[in-house]
Amino acid sequence: MKNNYRRSYAYALSFALFLTYNSPTFSQNQPQKTISGIITSGADPLSGVNVLVKNSARGSISDLEGRYSVSASANDTLVFTYVGYKTQEVSVGSLSGSRSLSFSRSRSGSDGDIVFNVVMEVDAQALDAVVINAGYYKVSDREKTGSIARITAAEIENQPVSNPLAAMQGRMAGVNIVQTTGLASGGYEVRIRGQNSIAAGNDPLYIIDGIPYDSQTMGFSTVGATTIPGGNISPLSLLNPQDIASIEVLKDADATAIYGSRGANGVILITTKKGKDGKTAFSLSTYTGMAQVANTINYMKTDQYLKMRREAFANDGFNEYPEDAYDVNGTWDPNRYTDWQKELIGGTAYLTNAQATVSGGNGNTRFLLSGGYHKETTVFPKDFNYKRLSVHANLDHTSTDDKFQLYFSANYAVEQNDLPGLDLTQLTRFLAPNAPQLYDSEGNLNFENGTFANPLAELEGKYLTDRKNLITNARLSYRVFPELTLLTNMGYTTTGLDESRTSPNTKYDPSYGLSSSYSSIYTNRAQKESWLVEPQIKWNKTLEKSKLDVLVGASYKKQTDDVLSHFARGFANNSLIYNLAAANTLSVNRDALTEYKYQAFFGRINYTLANKYIINLTGRRDGSSRFGDGKRFANFGAVGAAWLFSEEAFIKNKASFLSLGKLRASYGITGNDQIGNYQYLETYSSTGTLYDDVSGLQPTRIFNPDFGWETNKKFSGGLDLDFFRDRINLVFEYYNNRSSNQLVGLPLPGTTGFPSIQANLGAVVENSGLEFSLNTHTVKTKDWNWDTGINLSVPKNKLIAFPNLENSTYANQYVVGQSLNIKKLYHVTGVDPETGVYQFEDYNGDGEISAPEDRQYIADTAPKWYGGINNRISYKNLELNFLFQFTKRDGYNYVLGSASPGEMANQPDFVTDQWQNEGDQSETQLFTAGYNFDALIAHSRYMFSNASITDASFVRLRNASLTYSLPQRREGSLNCKIYLQGENLLLFTKFNSGDPEQLTGFLPPMRKLTMGFQLTL
Amino acid sequence: MKNILKILKKFRAMRALNMYPILLGTCLTITACDSFTEVDFPQSELMGTAVFNDAASVHAAFANIYSKLRDNVLITGQTNGLNVLLGLYADELDYYGVPGEDAETFYRHSILASNTEVASIWNDTYNLVYATNSILEGVQNSKELSEMEKNAFMGEALFIRAYLHFHLLQLFGPIPYITTTDYRINKDVKRLPENEVYPILVQDLLEAKTWLTGQENYEHTRPTAQAANALLARTYLYQQNYTAASAVASELINDGSLNLGDTTEMVFTATNPSTIWQLKPEAGNPTWEALTFIFEETPAFVALNPELVASFEAEDSRRLQWIGEVAVGNETYFYPNKYKTREGSGDEYSVLLRLAEQFLIRAEARLYLGDLSGAKEDINRIRSRAGLDPTVANTVESLKLALENERRHELFTEQGHRWFDLRRTQRAAEVIGPIKPNWKATDVLFPIPEMELNLNPNLEPQNPGY
Repeated sequence: MKNNYRRSYAYALSFALFLTYNSPTFSQNQPQKTISGIITSGADPLSGVNVLVKNSARGSISDLEGRYSVSASANDTLVFTYVGYKTQEVSVGSLSGSRSLSFSRSRSGSDGDIVFNVVMEVDAQALDAVVINAGYYKVSDREKTGSIARITAAEIENQPVSNPLAAMQGRMAGVNIVQTTGLASGGYEVRIRGQNSIAAGNDPLYIIDGIPYDSQTMGFSTVGATTIPGGNISPLSLLNPQDIASIEVLKDADATAIYGSRGANGVILITTKKGKDGKTAFSLSTYTGMAQVANTINYMKTDQYLKMRREAFANDGFNEYPEDAYDVNGTWDPNRYTDWQKELIGGTAYLTNAQATVSGGNGNTRFLLSGGYHKETTVFPKDFNYKRLSVHANLDHTSTDDKFQLYFSANYAVEQNDLPGLDLTQLTRFLAPNAPQLYDSEGNLNFENGTFANPLAELEGKYLTDRKNLITNARLSYRVFPELTLLTNMGYTTTGLDESRTSPNTKYDPSYGLSSSYSSIYTNRAQKESWLVEPQIKWNKTLEKSKLDVLVGASYKKQTDDVLSHFARGFANNSLIYNLAAANTLSVNRDALTEYKYQAFFGRINYTLANKYIINLTGRRDGSSRFGDGKRFANFGAVGAAWLFSEEAFIKNKASFLSLGKLRASYGITGNDQIGNYQYLETYSSTGTLYDDVSGLQPTRIFNPDFGWETNKKFSGGLDLDFFRDRINLVFEYYNNRSSNQLVGLPLPGTTGFPSIQANLGAVVENSGLEFSLNTHTVKTKDWNWDTGINLSVPKNKLIAFPNLENSTYANQYVVGQSLNIKKLYHVTGVDPETGVYQFEDYNGDGEISAPEDRQYIADTAPKWYGGINNRISYKNLELNFLFQFTKRDGYNYVLGSASPGEMANQPDFVTDQWQNEGDQSETQLFTAGYNFDALIAHSRYMFSNASITDASFVRLRNASLTYSLPQRREGSLNCKIYLQGENLLLFTKFNSGDPEQLTGFLPPMRKLTMGFQLTL
Repeated sequence: MKNILKILKKFRAMRALNMYPILLGTCLTITACDSFTEVDFPQSELMGTAVFNDAASVHAAFANIYSKLRDNVLITGQTNGLNVLLGLYADELDYYGVPGEDAETFYRHSILASNTEVASIWNDTYNLVYATNSILEGVQNSKELSEMEKNAFMGEALFIRAYLHFHLLQLFGPIPYITTTDYRINKDVKRLPENEVYPILVQDLLEAKTWLTGQENYEHTRPTAQAANALLARTYLYQQNYTAASAVASELINDGSLNLGDTTEMVFTATNPSTIWQLKPEAGNPTWEALTFIFEETPAFVALNPELVASFEAEDSRRLQWIGEVAVGNETYFYPNKYKTREGSGDEYSVLLRLAEQFLIRAEARLYLGDLSGAKEDINRIRSRAGLDPTVANTVESLKLALENERRHELFTEQGHRWFDLRRTQRAAEVIGPIKPNWKATDVLFPIPEMELNLNPNLEPQNPGY
């Protein structure tokens, strides 16, 4: 510890010395004049314009009224610079006589003091120059050295989504987002430039208004996994997308290294909306709509199904159907037909959303207050729904002298989700089409005398979640000198979750005679709290031809997680099921309080020379409590550079159509600490179960002090081109990221007693790829506007090295030189015409098919390329937006997890080419009702063979919206927009197993259609 | 480059003395607390070494093992325990549950190497082996525990380790015998042939017996020296070491604190003197066995094979007292009714080792040692207790069958005895083959879970047939 202390002290001190030693001072050895005046953009005063005495360090910045004042001698030249405007220079000497300058100016005759007003001229090519949030600092699009993608409120608002992550889908190169369930509050898999880590987290770091937001779900999988995949309820759905002003995604080392150990998987910065100067504005918007499951699988109808079953029994040599073959032995009506997908997930969900905002500002202080309400029902047969109420408040203040700034924002959301205890989608895939009716004549659940596992019985159990979330952020800054600003960023976040899944006795066939003493409930209550303090110093200096920005800061974060999870069984009455005190038995499944502390020092030096050459150095020293002593601290950093070659004279003069040309590159190291807390300790924890009045203690972890940070080295290069002043904008990027020192929950064989252990594996994973985006303003006339945005990503994931792979627990999962997304499978060579059973390639030639030796067929399920095409077409007051999203990849089809054809489980209706007679050449093996062991074994291999992988590529009309703005009678009067919005409207794919993005048997993404309006006053 | 140098030069010329305090102050706050990242130990967990500073927490570590055995693992009375799974696999139970569930694959003999129930048996049992080894190592290294305490804990842990491996051995054949917590060793272990596992079992049990001698456990809810003996006798029998099996069984039969009794009533109640080791149900709850087996209308999960019921002699009190029946229409269904209490806490505990088995062990040992009258005497002791006349079997072969039958009737649906008997006497093909259409000779062993072979190639080869 002591050493670390000393080392970091030394670092900070050298920073301090560097700063002070090189600090500017003011030379005062010449006769001085005071030049003052007002800087305007023609109409409005411009505040924050840099006024600099050329070749000196003297200067000033214009205040809110645009006033400035600077002292200079007659030989000096003044330089006026402001982002988005042309830089202007004027010699002080010329101010006393000539009138030939293009500046508007006036002179006062008093003692050498000069009043000089300046009109800054807009730099057309930078007109749209966006200021991009890079987290700890802001940078103009033009000057950025890193790779940062961005969407803004304009794009988010066109989508009827409840989760901000959904709004990003298909819109950014290098960002792949897949929804894991069609239910609101379900999780998303977000991968920025591929999967870096074999086993530690691959989630990006989320920063909301400067505050890191833990994206790890608080859900306990035992409670929620039957409804939401993995019990992974997305924390991001607690943020109302309509409160978001912009989302920036930091991708390369240059942009992410300042986030050190947490930057390896990219950083997603979410900035909420702020108030604007001007009159107080009220806005109300609301939409309502419907959603349905968009893509289903075609299953066999009763005739085809029963034919299959009968054939299966005949194949198995049965003359008489067994007692439990209810579907064919006459127990169930052979003429019934139910489309179970229609019956169980074929309903319509309704969406309602309302948002009211009031905002305003008076130059010094701005505010915004908004409230939102979102409700979404489900497609399941009973009444289930999702509700969210959110409040967003934002205040910022600047003192009149422009030195002090205060910024405060708060986001609060309450969410209630009422869902069935089981997602019925999986059941629809297996139920026999002639299974009995759901209700008997008296309206009770029908169990058909104990022969039918009624799927609606599952709806008796409920999965309820209740969440509350508060994110607050305060930022105080004080400009001590024009060049030096001290600031502190502070945040407090708290999230509470209360979830439960009930399993009442009414779920079961009443003939089992189970009373409510069999009813049970799983509950989980979790509370997460974190605070953050980040003191920082910013220093910038504009010199004659160059500009220097320096930032140093520290970050302290503490997070506590408190979880209490129960299982209770046996209630006198089901209405008491939520009262744990009423349970006959109560056990504690988990009671854990964990602490995570995090400390960092970071810095950035950005130097711009002649507006052409930019170098950006960032670094961070991180310490995390997730590692044992001696492995706790690590250093990360990056260097980025950019060359604006369009500023070079030879381009400026000869190729003026090129408004911006920039080459940029960066290289650096980031890290990953997503491994959970206390993993290095050997611990015992309570099981919560009693034996002989003693509560059990079980070993929970093996002692393991030797694991450390995962490091991710990123190289990225890019070319930014802009033609004809913003008409055509092109970005090419190449990246190559290598993750080493892989932190892995190394799976252990069962004989060790534990499923896994954390360890640093000497494996190297490479993600490389090309990204391309094109934005055009194709048509730009008074009435017509047509913008197009195209993005395309071609990623490649590769396992570069894996020492001793063949002896490791990953031997049968990965292959060096292949992607991490490969699946090792059997290779089906066809159906044996003699026996009618699938044949597989015997890779090791031992005459037997066995795993793992013969699972050598390699299929890669990573996307080969993906992207989106977005169009915005407007004519007068009418605007049409639509986004096509496309992905080229292979994926699992229905075969994975399917029943062997012929068993009492439905099959897709295209399972027709089965083997029937000796000599048949067929695609599917013979049907068996489960008595042909060879066929069963063969099917179990077939499920994990190349037959389970097919092309799952698709083109999706992800999103479309049509907006009409009612003509305004006069400036400032009521503004009204009406709109139609749709999600997931069309799908073009060859994939035959439902939605190509939902391969796990949960509810696929919904098709949504909404209608709404927005009033602004 | 030139430019940069020029600028740096300029900076050096500048001074802003009043910035020192601010910068210095800030830097100091930044660096002052490097120890910020120290966290307290998790409040809800206990450091491994702390467990063994105190007898109470060692008891808690054992409580974990017993509650897992009772509620989840291996010989649990729940639907995933050997009572059910091996009952279905052999000829004791018929399956009436939802088609396609894991239990059905046992009934149909359609177990594949990917079977999740088989994987759970393997993994959960080895997890408990880890727990016992962790106790063994922790107790040995503890400086706080007394010698007395240490001995008792060591004996208990060794017994459980043997008990767990015994069952794995019967299910999977050659298995790794795990004696350390070191994952670096355990992740690459090899399987030992069956005949090499038995001596280790014997050694563990002998040692357990030594440590446990003199330790009392009134309710038999924790293993005692008697329990070690009982499992030892069974192990010797399976090993075909008949002399030793007979001797150890005799020790228990002659132990004054145990008594077989003259009736088959109350055998599974907590205080029955024939019980050697039993698991106590969770407070306020009945045994899992009763919950799993008893039904009131048509069976919803499993029912006794009517053949088994029919094979009882009419006057056998076990047929009347240990088997329940439900008539639905023309059909009569049977269920194991050894445990009767279904609601609330009863006076029944889940019995794992009991004296009746020792009589049957000794009978078998005597039979193979050529002591036919001694064997008959032991068989008849069991029969008379069930209200039956002495056996009419007289020859070695007929006595073997009589004994097999007696074991079947005495020990049905108890931790897989029936299946283990058929397997070790090589009678499985003969008895089970005709009634299971999927029967294969290789069914005598379960597959090593597929995933385990992936994770530890040293476990190869897979058991034949999978």
